[in-house]
Amino acid sequence: MKKTNRGGSRFLIGLMFLFLYLPILLLIIFSFNAGDSSAVWRGFSLHWYSQLFQNRLIMESLYITLLVSLLATVISTAAGTFAAIGLYSLSRRKRDALLVVNNIPMMNADIVTGVSLCLFFVAFFQGWGSFARWMNGIQSVVELPTRLTLGFGTLLLAHIAFNIPYVILNVAPRLRQMDKNLVDAAQDLGCTWMQAFWRVILPEIKPGIVSGALIAFTMSVDDFVISYFTAGSSTSTLAMTIYGMTKRRITPEINAVSTLLFLTVLLLLVIVNVREARQERRSASMEPRKLTWMEKLSVRTSTPKWRWVKRGAGAAMACCFVAAVIFLTGATSSRPVVNVCSLGEYIDTDLITQFEEQTGIRVNYQTVESNESLYSLLKSGGADYDVVVTSDYMIAKFIEEDMLEPLDYKNIPNFELIDERFKNLHYDPEDQYTVPYTWGTLGIIYNTSMVDEEITSWSALYDDKYAGNVLLINNSRDALGEALLYLGYSVNTTDEAEIRQAFELIADANRRGVFQGKVSDEVFQKMEGGNAAIATYYAGDYLTMAENNEDLAFVVPDEGSNWFVDAMCVLKDAPHKTEAEMWINFIASTDANLANMDYIWYASPNREALEKYPAYYEELYGEELDQETYEIMAAPPEVLERCEVYENLPGEIQKLYSQLWVELGTG
Amino acid sequence: MSKKLISLADCCVAFDGELVLDHINLYFNDSEFLTLLGPSGCGKTTTLRIIGGFLTPTSGEVLFDGVRINDIPPNLRQVNTVFQRYALFPHLNVFENVAFGLRVPKTETVNGRKRKVKVPEEEIRQRVLEMLEVVSLKGFENRRITELSGGQQQRVAIARALVNRPKVLLLDEPLGALDLRLRKDMQSELKRIQQQLGITFIYVTHDQEEALAMSDTIVVMDQGRIQQIGTPEDIYNEPKNAFVADFIGESNILDGIMHEDYVVEFFNRKFKCLDKGFAPMEPVDVVIRPEDVDIVPPEKGQLRGTVTSVTFKGVHYDTIVDFKGFKWLIQTTDYHPEGETIGIILNPDDIHIMHKSEYSGMFGDYSSYSEEYDELEDVSLLEEDGEGGDEE
Repeated sequence: MKKTNRGGSRFLIGLMFLFLYLPILLLIIFSFNAGDSSAVWRGFSLHWYSQLFQNRLIMESLYITLLVSLLATVISTAAGTFAAIGLYSLSRRKRDALLVVNNIPMMNADIVTGVSLCLFFVAFFQGWGSFARWMNGIQSVVELPTRLTLGFGTLLLAHIAFNIPYVILNVAPRLRQMDKNLVDAAQDLGCTWMQAFWRVILPEIKPGIVSGALIAFTMSVDDFVISYFTAGSSTSTLAMTIYGMTKRRITPEINAVSTLLFLTVLLLLVIVNVREARQERRSASMEPRKLTWMEKLSVRTSTPKWRWVKRGAGAAMACCFVAAVIFLTGATSSRPVVNVCSLGEYIDTDLITQFEEQTGIRVNYQTVESNESLYSLLKSGGADYDVVVTSDYMIAKFIEEDMLEPLDYKNIPNFELIDERFKNLHYDPEDQYTVPYTWGTLGIIYNTSMVDEEITSWSALYDDKYAGNVLLINNSRDALGEALLYLGYSVNTTDEAEIRQAFELIADANRRGVFQGKVSDEVFQKMEGGNAAIATYYAGDYLTMAENNEDLAFVVPDEGSNWFVDAMCVLKDAPHKTEAEMWINFIASTDANLANMDYIWYASPNREALEKYPAYYEELYGEELDQETYEIMAAPPEVLERCEVYENLPGEIQKLYSQLWVELGTG
Repeated sequence: MSKKLISLADCCVAFDGELVLDHINLYFNDSEFLTLLGPSGCGKTTTLRIIGGFLTPTSGEVLFDGVRINDIPPNLRQVNTVFQRYALFPHLNVFENVAFGLRVPKTETVNGRKRKVKVPEEEIRQRVLEMLEVVSLKGFENRRITELSGGQQQRVAIARALVNRPKVLLLDEPLGALDLRLRKDMQSELKRIQQQLGITFIYVTHDQEEALAMSDTIVVMDQGRIQQIGTPEDIYNEPKNAFVADFIGESNILDGIMHEDYVVEFFNRKFKCLDKGFAPMEPVDVVIRPEDVDIVPPEKGQLRGTVTSVTFKGVHYDTIVDFKGFKWLIQTTDYHPEGETIGIILNPDDIHIMHKSEYSGMFGDYSSYSEEYDELEDVSLLEEDGEGGDEE
């Protein structure tokens, strides 16, 4: 009886650990995948790791992460240690009360901490703005900056703030264990308080300080939520970058960087725990123990001569650290800069490097997951971008709300290279604000091994034949647009009855169990892995999927579809307008468009680039570009004729869309 | 004796409005072994901390060699302390613990310029080894603190304080954590070290035996006030009030009336004594030490009583005798069984007369006497002391 019980509990424990670690194990395995799918194994390769170190976004955010973590660790460790010592000089009741207060931020939901810090910083900046204007008004000696934004500084402050409680929590027990008379004894023997601190308190609580610092560092490296709210728009930690990248799709590159992050945090935690275990063992057994090699070294090097060498080395290291910090932050701040924000990882990052080398302007490249989130980010005032890349209907909205700065096209001669088809479009009829970036179509992607017929109509999305195998796009505009087109209406209809009819079509199919689920970026894994037969997505992304699953096909249905333009524009009052226009001009060039087209598989609006791309491809890969592929990427005129662009819908219709989308539920 | 080294003039200390030290006037002579003796909370440790510099008196002056040192921090005083439970530095070995005070760079003003002065390494070595020899710890230099026994740690603490050549060594219940046997050894050891080095020891304890055995001078304290200052013999033989009489050794304390010089009345009977200078018919406290009482057959005694309990103590018996409802402790080498009626005789030099004080009537009756009770009280004293130290 007992035996089977034990077997059962072992089984449950095994199951629990499997549940905990299997996802991480999968992530690690797939980081070594030779292919770029997260579902199909193409053999072992370190390709993504090497790719990782060439990815600018990742390396830059890695640098930010390390810098913030190190600085926050050093500062919070010092502050937390002194705070803990201060706590221990209070009476017991006050100390206990304060320790409880200290614990609250650790228990507090990160999101609450993050939002409140963000609010606090923004409120402070507003107050500072008025103060600085007033000061600048009454004196002209010092020009105070009036516009402060979230950025590295606020990120660092936030990290220091949430790290301090962890340091206190680790240092406090060591202080409690310490004989209070030790400080008295040291002072009695001739030490000032500071000397007593260095000679007695510090060595006594050192283990606590070291574990506190390690935990603080781990927390800093690990943090996403608080950083997300306090880093502002132009600074990004590794975790934030990973999050931004997953918004488009999970590439093995993300697996690789996540694996490295996981291993780093794991290593730190192992160090902390081994240290604690060792200390416990040591304090449990009063017996003499063998010296560790560190201690042996420190005994051997404790002669006066060696002590100077040690001190010198310590000072040199400290100087190097400070110099590195100054150099790195200085290097980033003195150069001219342009802040660019785009949808997901939507650029060949080599272009950024090229631009920087050519112009000496630093590009701060940030990403955002969707048009809508870009809009809310800008509206919240937390962003300080110069250039944003966004879709046609969103640009119309921006213009309507006077959020854009008219461009000086004299500074953007490459605008001439844009194909006439992409000029003077509905969202910017007189070409005052925008330069097109890419364009493409929405269509049906289906797996030919699971679908017998050739699909030519949106009806396949609602067909019982494919029940449980259809992926509904998780975006109300696209999903309802498809239904409207199927019913023969315009995607831009403002007739409520038509929209409701379209919704009923989707809702009915949903009730019949046609849809497997609502998906956005999971579409990559599902389609590549053959887990669904039919989905709708963008042509460029289909080409990426098709590389991993040759059975996939793409079609723009006969009823027509949406075609879209994503364009670059400059935000109103952008601080670096000149640099922004240089950037736009650079990206609009034929070379840049070719490189981008090859990298992201979205069609270029540049006439020359569109024409030259097949030749470019052949030169690069030594094989001819498949005509069909090319036509999927850059839809020929007869296909485009069937397609409509999304116009910015009136407010009440937008509301109806989101209301209906909520009604459909999470499916 | 010799000159005054440290004086406390009218010192008061108040914590949260409560007077812990109540107008203390006290001086310490050069090269003497002085003990502050009293129960827990009497202010003895507070007095020591004032001298050490860890506490500034609320009012009054602390003088060192005639110079006011109220505001001099502990690190600049020529005084070192041996702490309760030693307060050794666990991260240093024996040698480095002792060398600690010598390694701290001192700021000295030479020709108006401030300069950091360090003791040369060779001198440190010499002085530390010398001091380890004084405390009989030669050869222990490289031991870790955690590898030492309580007595050895105690010696390290003493060496660590003495290596700085202080003029005064303060010892705060240094033997409290040791077992009885070790405590006795360390008592004579401490006395030897004090005599060898010829410096002032100020010793704090609640153990009256320890105080009597080691001190040149004993200061008995209670409730923040000095009750009596004197040599061990003075304190024992001529206690000033009932508190001192009770705290130092065992005493039977009775109410009496001084009729005239050399005549005192108690138990409705006049006795001859050696005291004088009291007002006629003044009510007084009469102290009779238990070992001074002679037991005689009942018919021969000045007083007659019944034995209510007998405890064997090794050298003697603790015999409790009931005299008209008042219970006496008598220490005698003869065995008198419970229930026996005995008589006693008091010689004039067995009777000590004290003025009435606030302590009158609080001590001296052994009706609730029990050994266990005494021991329990001792333990609680120790613990309370630890707590008191924590709060400061």
